[in-house]
Amino acid sequence: MARRSIFNRMKTRNKIKQSQEQQEEFNTSITKNLDDNLKSIKKMLGDPTDLVTRELIIGGIEKRAAIIYISGITDEDLINNNILKVIQENLMQYETGILDKIHSEVVAVTDTDKSNNLDDVSLAILNGHTAFYLEGYEEVLLMGTTGGESRSIEEPESETLVRGPRDGFVESIFTNMALIRRDIRDPNLRFKKHEVGKRSKQMVVVCYIEGITNPDLVNEINRRLATMDIDFISDSSFIEQWIEDSIYSPFPQILDTERPDSVSASLIQGKVGIIVDGTPFALIAPMSLSDGLASPEDYTQRWMSASLLRILRFLAAFIAVFLPGLYVAFVSFHPGMIPSTLAYSIAASREGVPFPAAVEAILLAITFEILHEAGVRLPKVIGQTIGIVGGLVIGEAAVSAGIVSPIMVIVTALTAIAAFSIPTYSMSIALRTFRFIVIIASGALGLYGLILIYIMMNIHIVNLKSIGMPYSIPFGPLFLKDLKDVIIRAPFTKLTRRPKHLEPVDDVSKDTSIK
Amino acid sequence: MSPFKYADESIQSQDIMIAIPSVAIAVSILDLPGILAKSVRFADGWIAIIIAGILAVSLTWFVAKIVSKFPNQSFLSYSSSLLSKPVAYLLTLLFAIQGMMIAAYEVSSISIISKQYLFDTTPVEVIGLSFLLIVVYSVSGSRVGLFRLNAMFLPLIFLVTGLLIIFAIGFMKLDNVLPVFTTGINGYVKGTIDSALAYAGIGILFFYIPLVKDINKVPGRAAFGMSWVVLLYLLIYLVCIAVFGQATTEVIRLPLIELAKSIKIPGGFFERMESLFFVIWITSIFTTAMMTYDVAVMALQSILPKLKKHTIVFGLSPLIYFISTLPNNFLENVKFEEYLAYTTSILPVFVVIPLWIMYGIKGGKNRGQ
Repeated sequence: MARRSIFNRMKTRNKIKQSQEQQEEFNTSITKNLDDNLKSIKKMLGDPTDLVTRELIIGGIEKRAAIIYISGITDEDLINNNILKVIQENLMQYETGILDKIHSEVVAVTDTDKSNNLDDVSLAILNGHTAFYLEGYEEVLLMGTTGGESRSIEEPESETLVRGPRDGFVESIFTNMALIRRDIRDPNLRFKKHEVGKRSKQMVVVCYIEGITNPDLVNEINRRLATMDIDFISDSSFIEQWIEDSIYSPFPQILDTERPDSVSASLIQGKVGIIVDGTPFALIAPMSLSDGLASPEDYTQRWMSASLLRILRFLAAFIAVFLPGLYVAFVSFHPGMIPSTLAYSIAASREGVPFPAAVEAILLAITFEILHEAGVRLPKVIGQTIGIVGGLVIGEAAVSAGIVSPIMVIVTALTAIAAFSIPTYSMSIALRTFRFIVIIASGALGLYGLILIYIMMNIHIVNLKSIGMPYSIPFGPLFLKDLKDVIIRAPFTKLTRRPKHLEPVDDVSKDTSIK
Repeated sequence: MSPFKYADESIQSQDIMIAIPSVAIAVSILDLPGILAKSVRFADGWIAIIIAGILAVSLTWFVAKIVSKFPNQSFLSYSSSLLSKPVAYLLTLLFAIQGMMIAAYEVSSISIISKQYLFDTTPVEVIGLSFLLIVVYSVSGSRVGLFRLNAMFLPLIFLVTGLLIIFAIGFMKLDNVLPVFTTGINGYVKGTIDSALAYAGIGILFFYIPLVKDINKVPGRAAFGMSWVVLLYLLIYLVCIAVFGQATTEVIRLPLIELAKSIKIPGGFFERMESLFFVIWITSIFTTAMMTYDVAVMALQSILPKLKKHTIVFGLSPLIYFISTLPNNFLENVKFEEYLAYTTSILPVFVVIPLWIMYGIKGGKNRGQ
C-alpha cells in the first residue's frame, strides 16, 4: 500500500513537471515583440483553423499591429467596420501613448478592456472578444465583439399555454437575461455571475430581487454553485442535480422552465432564478411539491376557472399515482367494495385473462412507458406510427387476444392522461415511478398496502427539502394564508402578500391602504 | 449538501396542538363507544366522556405548564434537578418502556383488526411487520418531519370521521338516545374511568415541549388540542348510540367500523365503505405509533447519550415487533390495551404531581434557561 502511494506520488509529480514543461514553451506575459506575442497566443490555442490573425500597419507612425479573433463566435461586421476600418483610416499624429489613443478615440466598440496577461487574452478570445496587439506595447486591447449565429426567440415547446406570453428562453444567456429584464424593470433586480465548468468556462447567472428575496437563500445558492467541480455542463440539469438537497429522491427539487414569465413571477414572489449559458432551461429554487403542479395558465385564466383547474390537477396527480393500485386492490382483495353491477362486468371482462390483476397492471403500465419513450425519441415524421402501433395493435389486439382486460386498458389510459396533465415534466416522471411501487404494494397487501405506500410517500416528502425549504410546504409546516395561492388561486386583489413560507424580506406585494 | 436553516426547522406551539390529538386518537376512536355502552345506560355516556375530558384537558394543561418552565432541557435534566437523579432515570426508563409498549400495541391492533376487516389469508405477522417498517422509516427521519406528518394526517382523520357522521344522520333514531339520566352513580364512575383511558398520550408532552420555540403559548394550545379529542369522542359516541342503540353497541367490538359498514352514501357508487374508512383511520394509528416510538427513542437517547439515534431506532424495532406478536387474538389484545391504558393514564399523573410539589418547594431557583 505504502509503496503504491509513493509510486503514485512520483507519477503525479512527473505529470506536473510535464505540464509545467509544456507551459514553459510559450511566454505567459505579453512582451514588446509582436511576433513573439502572436507566436505565444497561437501556441497556447494550438493554432486552430478558426483563429483569424490579421496583421496591419498603423498609418502615420508605420507601426505593426495585429487583430486576433475566432471566427464564428464573433460579429465580423463589427470587427470590419468599427475596428479594422477605423484603425486603418486614422492617421496617427503622436509617437507616444498610441494604444491609449486607439482605446479612447479610435475604436468604436463599447466594451473594451486592456490586459497584459496571456491567460486573460486567450479567455477573452475564446469568449468571442477581439484582441488588438501593437508592436512595442506590453498591453493588449480586448474588444467585446461577441456574436455569431444563435436561435431566435421562439415559443417554448415543453410548456405551452392557451393564453400568456409566447416567448421562450434561447441558448444565449444574454438574450435570456434581457428577457427577464424586460419583464422586471426594477433597479433591485440582481444578476450574480458564476463561472461553471473547468474546461467549458460557462457563465451561470443567479438572479433575484434584492429587498424581496431572503438573503440567506441567495447566499446558500451561491455557496452551492461555488462548490461545482465539473468539466462541462450541457444543460441546467447538471446544476440542478449538483446543488439539490437529496440525491436519493425521485422528486425534482429545483423547478426548470423555458418561460421567462415563470422566472419573473417567481422572482417577484421571493424565489431565485438560475440561468445557464447554452440552454433554454432556467432553474427556479426553492420549489415545493405544489409548485410542481402549478402552471402559468393558472394566472392567465379567471380565478374561478383557474382554481378549479388547480384542484383538477391535484386530482390528476392522485390518479396518476394511485388509480391502477386502487383498481388492483379492489379487484384482488376487496371485490365487495365495487358496486355489484360494475363488479359483474369487471369479472366478465377479466374472464380468460391469465394474469392476476397486479401483473396485468404492471404489464400494461410498462407497455405504456415504452410507447411513451419511443414516441419521445422518434423523429416527428414517423412519430405517428407509434400512435397506430400503440392504439391499435397493443390496445385492441391485446384485449381481443385475452392477454389484458379492457377495463385495465381504460385504467391505464386514464392514468396516462392524468400524468400528462401535470405541467412539470420531471414531476410527472417522478409520480409515474411511484405508480409502480403502488401497484406492487396493492397487489401484495390490497388497500392496506396502498395506504402504507401513501404514508411512506408522505414521510419521504416531509423529510425532503429544496435548498433548505421543506418540500411539503405550505401544508406541513402549515402556512394557512399561503394556501389561497396553492390549492386555489384567489383573485389578484386578494393576493396582497408574498408567500410567507419563502420568508421574504418584504412580504407586501400590494399596498391595500392606498385606494 | 450541508443542512441549511433558512426555513424554520423548530417545533412551534401549534405543532404540539396538532400532535396531542394525533397521539390520543388511535384505536380508542374505534372501540370507545362499545366500551362505554357496557357500563352506562342509553346515551348517558356523554357525561362520562365530558368529565373524563375535562380531567384530561386539565392534566394536559398542568403537564404543559410545568414543562414549559424548562425550555431547551431534556426530561432527564429537569426532572433530576427537581426529583433527584435516580428518580429521574427511573422515570425516563418508564417513559421509554411505555412508548415502546404503546407502539407495540398499535402494531398488534393494526394487524389483528386488518386481518379481520381487510384480509382473509394474509398472515398477521406480515401485516404487523410492514406497518412497523413504515413506522421505523418515519422515526429515522427528522423529528420536525414527524410533526409535519401529524399536520398532514390529522385533518384527514377529522374530515373522514366528520363525513361518516354526516352520512350517518339518516340512520339515527331518537328512541335509542332517550331517556336520559337513567344510569346509577357507579355506572358513571366506571364510564368516566373507561373514557379517561382513551385520552392517553399526555406523556409525550414531557419530552416534546422543551423543544418548542414559542414555549409560553404551549399550555393553552396543548389543552385546546386535547379538547378537540373530547369533541370528536363525544360526537362518535352519540352517533353510534343513536344509530345502533346501547344494547347493540355494547356487543360490537369496533362500533365505528360497523357504523361505516352500515351507512350508505347517497347516490352510492361504492359499497361497503368500511374498508376505505378503516384504511384512513390507519393513518391515525400510525401517527400514534410513530410519536410514541419517537418518545421511547428520545428517552433512551437521554439515558444513553453515546448511542446514535439510528442505532436506538433500529435496535428497538425487533423488540417492539416481538411484543406486538404476543397478543394472539382480539380478546388478548383488549387485555393488553387495558393494562396499557391504566399505565399511560396514571404515569403522567404520578410524574406531574411530584414535579409541581418540588417546583413549589424549590421555587423557580432551578429554572433552566
